[in-house]
Amino acid sequence: MAEKLIGKDIAPPDLVAKITGRAKYAEDFRAEGMVFAKMLLSPMPHARVRRIDTSRAERMEGVVGVLLPDDVPQPEPPAEPVLAREPVFEGQPVLAVAAVTEQIAADAIEQVRVDFEPLPFVLDPLDSLRPGGPNAHVQGNVRVRGEDGTEWRDHKWTETDFAAAATADRLPMGEPVVEWSRGDVDAAFANAEVIVEETIVHQSLTHHPMEPRTSMAYWQNGKLFAFTSTQSTARTKGALANALDMDPEDVVLVAEYCGGGFGSKISGSTLMRLPAIFSRKINRPVMLRVTRYEETYIGRARPGFQGWVKMGFRGDGKVTALDLYLVEEGGAYGSGDNGTAGVVADLTYQPDNVRVRSVSVFTNTPPKSAQRGPGGAQIISMLEPILDKGARELGMDRLEIRKLNAPRPDVRFGPRDMGLTSVHAVEALAQGGEAFGWEEKKVLSGRRNGTKVTGVGIGLSPYTAGSRGYDGLLLLRPDGKLQVHQGIGNLGTHSIADTARPAAEILGLDWDQVEIVWGDSSRGLPRSSVQAGSQTTHAHTRANHAAATDARSKIQEIAAGTLGGAPGDYVLDGGRVFHRSNQSRGMSFGQVAERAIELGGTYDGHVLPEDIHAETVAAAGGLAGQGLMGVARDNYGGDGGVYSWVAGFAVVELDVETGIVDVTEYTGYADCGTVVHPRSLGAQILGGSIQGMGMAMSQRWVFDPKWGVPLAKRLYTARPPGILDVPLEMSWGAVGIPDPQTPVGAKGIGEPPVGAGAAAIASAVADALGGRCLCRTPLTPDIILAELEGLEPPFSRTATHVG
Amino acid sequence: MATIRDMMPAFELFQPTSVDAAAELMDEHGGDAWALAGGLDSMDWFKDRIKRPRVVVDLSGVSELRGIRETAQGLDIGALTTLTEVERHDALRSDYAVLADAARHVATPQIRNQGTLGGNISQDTRCWYYRSGWPCYRAGGNTCYASAPQAMNREHCIMGASRCVAVNPSDTAPALLALDAVVTVRSGGRERTVDAEDYFVGPAMDITRMTVLRPRDLLTKVHIPSAWAGAHFHYEKVQDRGSWDFALVSVAGAFRTTGGRIQEARLAVNGVAPYPVRLHRVEQALAGAVTGEETALAAGEMAVEGARPLRHNGYKVPLMRNLVRRAVRSVA
Amino acid sequence: MEILRRGPNPWGQEVLIGVGWDLVWLAVFLSVAFVVIHPLWVAARTRGVGTGEGAEGEAEALGGPGAGDLPERIQRHSVAARTFHWTMSVAMIALLVTAFVPVLGLQFPWVTVHWIAGLVLLVAVLYHVVHSMVWQDFWSMGFGARDLREGLAELRHALDPRARPGPRSGKYPADHKLYHHVVVLVTIAAVVTGVLMMVRIDTPFWSGNPYLLSDGTWGVLYVVHGLSGVALIGLVAAHVYFAIRPEKRWITWSMIRGWISRDRYLTHHDPDRWVVK
Repeated sequence: MAEKLIGKDIAPPDLVAKITGRAKYAEDFRAEGMVFAKMLLSPMPHARVRRIDTSRAERMEGVVGVLLPDDVPQPEPPAEPVLAREPVFEGQPVLAVAAVTEQIAADAIEQVRVDFEPLPFVLDPLDSLRPGGPNAHVQGNVRVRGEDGTEWRDHKWTETDFAAAATADRLPMGEPVVEWSRGDVDAAFANAEVIVEETIVHQSLTHHPMEPRTSMAYWQNGKLFAFTSTQSTARTKGALANALDMDPEDVVLVAEYCGGGFGSKISGSTLMRLPAIFSRKINRPVMLRVTRYEETYIGRARPGFQGWVKMGFRGDGKVTALDLYLVEEGGAYGSGDNGTAGVVADLTYQPDNVRVRSVSVFTNTPPKSAQRGPGGAQIISMLEPILDKGARELGMDRLEIRKLNAPRPDVRFGPRDMGLTSVHAVEALAQGGEAFGWEEKKVLSGRRNGTKVTGVGIGLSPYTAGSRGYDGLLLLRPDGKLQVHQGIGNLGTHSIADTARPAAEILGLDWDQVEIVWGDSSRGLPRSSVQAGSQTTHAHTRANHAAATDARSKIQEIAAGTLGGAPGDYVLDGGRVFHRSNQSRGMSFGQVAERAIELGGTYDGHVLPEDIHAETVAAAGGLAGQGLMGVARDNYGGDGGVYSWVAGFAVVELDVETGIVDVTEYTGYADCGTVVHPRSLGAQILGGSIQGMGMAMSQRWVFDPKWGVPLAKRLYTARPPGILDVPLEMSWGAVGIPDPQTPVGAKGIGEPPVGAGAAAIASAVADALGGRCLCRTPLTPDIILAELEGLEPPFSRTATHVG
Repeated sequence: MATIRDMMPAFELFQPTSVDAAAELMDEHGGDAWALAGGLDSMDWFKDRIKRPRVVVDLSGVSELRGIRETAQGLDIGALTTLTEVERHDALRSDYAVLADAARHVATPQIRNQGTLGGNISQDTRCWYYRSGWPCYRAGGNTCYASAPQAMNREHCIMGASRCVAVNPSDTAPALLALDAVVTVRSGGRERTVDAEDYFVGPAMDITRMTVLRPRDLLTKVHIPSAWAGAHFHYEKVQDRGSWDFALVSVAGAFRTTGGRIQEARLAVNGVAPYPVRLHRVEQALAGAVTGEETALAAGEMAVEGARPLRHNGYKVPLMRNLVRRAVRSVA
Repeated sequence: MEILRRGPNPWGQEVLIGVGWDLVWLAVFLSVAFVVIHPLWVAARTRGVGTGEGAEGEAEALGGPGAGDLPERIQRHSVAARTFHWTMSVAMIALLVTAFVPVLGLQFPWVTVHWIAGLVLLVAVLYHVVHSMVWQDFWSMGFGARDLREGLAELRHALDPRARPGPRSGKYPADHKLYHHVVVLVTIAAVVTGVLMMVRIDTPFWSGNPYLLSDGTWGVLYVVHGLSGVALIGLVAAHVYFAIRPEKRWITWSMIRGWISRDRYLTHHDPDRWVVK
């Protein structure tokens, strides 16, 4: 490929609108007769609604209607209702009022009387696992695979399990729900040179996207028009249609901009149904502006882990055995991070012998969902300091031990014995170490400067980075411009534009001749991946590559058909197609498009490939006859999982008199295949790393155990990192070796940096403490200072939601 | 009544343009009125519908309340002077750096542009139970949720508690104590002056107020006497993250030295009690003491005598001790 | 007027928080009104009518045989009883001042003084209970049919000076007994709820725990404590007022000096019911 565009810094097409404020986010839309909805949230962590009296609210002037739990489906948990009759976390929406102004709606909410019957609740999964402990749902506390799918179980451990843990001062480990293993861990530990064992707590923390999950909806002629904040677009439309039991073709979804999701708005949100249902009930457009306060409750959270790990090492530093037990805080509606965490741990350290046991427990805390690197970010931040411990005991360099254990191309991992399409973790470590200056920096470890001690740390973090089999849809218009239809979302990653580059590249078009169509399902969006799992760069460079290849063939055929010769003799460049022997023997793309329309059939989209998805068929149907259509399914195939890697390196200065940790330097180095957009890649590596630093250092989710409600529920008390927490010296780089199993060679990058940033900081803090691992997050100054001062910790080793 | 947050209820808004008019409005509406300065504390309360004044007197149009005037006796800072102005004012930076420094540590540049000195020292506590709208003592109820056995109280007080264990969140308050500042309070047609230290009220005295301000009162001016001009100053704030955060503990110090000895000292700490704490005993012990590590260590130990931490804030004792140490250590 | 203060607990459930502070103002108002109106009323009522007060001459006649054997000073309150009374009164005044003066607007650090005074009151009450049962004539405070008749007659006499005064009382007049018993009930309510409330505050001996009882139970305790406190404003005001009224001052002196004169004894008390040995 000529590669005029791949690897270049090109501003995305939505940049100006975003900077100038012209970009319309969900809450910026208005419709005639629109009313505002406000919600009443459950004040209790677990309750049953006994009685609702909305009469006073409904009598208020300006109030248009109310939406009650009875007006929406009440699915069996763990499915989540839009409005709950049995709320299972504080802050869960129970009912909504619509009024002509938001002010009146809010005032009306205050006039509603709801009689709640408090039910037993639980915040800490271990409390629920105790004999006789409370369950988050009346149905049980865990989901297990039974004879007919998954089912509820009242899963309790024994007093002996807890007593044994108390004696050993470690995580209690009763009967797991999930267990898999390879090799023989016990035998491997028996032969291990060094064994490290720790109980580690990783906190749960909220997503806090800048834009809350606001939505507006109205109905016209039986069609739903929905405006929402979501990471994806085509898949969100499908999810909304599915949730409302509608034909997707009757839904128009508009979501051009998204102020962040981090995994909490993958295919929209449960709440996006509310305005749709409410609007259908009162027959007026309904806007639900979700406030920052509400978003904290409803906006999802990363599940926390209470874990235990035992790692066995050979004399040369090879990890020979890994035994991992994870208790996951599943929140109100469950989570599956524990599964990913085990797989990522296995992948990163490549032990011959591994055992992973876990149990995900439902709790009465706000619902969990994927959060940037779900499962992986937590486990890497938990285990990297443990690997350091092993290295210290073996007297090994911490970079070397990672290089030694990182997977090679012949890697096999996880319970399903997977391989990888490509892996250059060792190169990321080596080149990153070089760029960071590991050899020079590592000698700073423990250096004392006044009250400050230097710590140096590394974190190596993989995450999934691709998927296959989606569709690409392009239209070469009679004006000579290329329209690339993107069903993926626009949550600030630039992928709507960047994944279109291969199309322009293949068609030999300058970038200014390309228009991206995105964010509005009425404009025709092909079947796409969800904008999650770091997959879009991989999945949609492929899909657009396939569609462009299809378009190129059609262009060449038209040229050959019109001008003579074989299609293969024609080349595409500068918006023209011409014969390789004579540049003037050619046609402009505009002429080609017009010719395609004349020819019809496959050329202009009247006849479509058989293997594309029904959603793409519908989208293409709306575009047929408007130009030359490139449409194809990604049939490139591939073997193995697609993973990207980031090696993070950090220097911290820990003030022993205050417990304050200052991150002074950070380098993130990625293996993500071909670099498509360097500036955007840098933003992902460093931005994700900073998010990880916040996860390890300052961000928190604190609950009051007596009332079962969160306390750090304001943005300022939740403390995601601010600009002054960002290291002054930051750099990034990429190995840049293409993935051989994908045509562009690019893999995704959104998620791996989070674990790298978090782990590098956790590793550096432990280093500054002389190798002492505090084995919990967040590493706030109080915890560090208490450790330095030898104070008795105010909470147990396994305590969660404290701080 | 069901609870809804993040949505301001209606109130009657007055926007006076003179202190007289503002004082008259405050007097007229008494307990129904709320004086609004930068709004950073007030808006939170309004939006959460926890404090629901009937009348809001917006002081932002009262230009008399703004600005810094140099007088023979020192500096007069209008209560509505923004923290950015305090942070950047030449005379403050050169002669009373502890206050400029303290102002610089408040939250973020945007908040400092909006926030005022008067508002900063008059703001309510950030106890997360109280701010949740729970009926605690401070809110007129009969429970302190933050000192309950299982409560989360890492940010609460280690001294000065009396049923309520909240802390004063002001960054500039300890600096004012260290400078022997005097504030002026207007009440109806009368004015009174109050020493900065006495401006703050602990829960033992009045559990529902942070300052001496009562209905009808208006803080108009902060006077910085010239006594401490050009002294050696020290300010430090320890917070969980680099910006937009309240102090876990902060310390402000002013020192006059001669020949390797501390002549006179002022030391104030915030974040440890429901009010900024002036360390009188430590100041007395420091008067005449030789500068150096030994004095610093002794000062730190003395400062935390009698501290009574809660379950989760034991770390504040060594933190306060160390910050006092560092303040004394800074005197070369 | 706000009689009870209610508020939402952290779960938004309405719970009792305490009595409305308006009641304090009401109690103060009623007390002041009583103290102002009662003397005026008495003055108006007694104008031109004999009160029977100061008719010392009747003493001999009423005394009956053996009166002459009586000492000049009749012991009415032992040192122990007086010590108790004054300790209790100091504690009670301290409690009322620390409880209500801040509510009325004058702020000062009252909590520590309040609970220490409460403990003093508790100790005094316990002492009094034991003392009265073991060393004092416990049943002299009993309120029986005779006390009722006596009390009713006195009441009639008070309302209508022409009505005959009631028969002479035993050691303690009916109204005193009645007052005592009301104060006993109110004080016990205040002390018991107060002691329980101490669980909630930090003392040198323990850290507060507001969750020992449920919100609802605490609310009731707060209301009972508040109501008894407010009632005590009136009871104490009335007590102090009568103690300084001229015609009752001899009783007050007896609580200071311990004795009453033989004349008073014979005039006001029935030697059959209060046998002085």
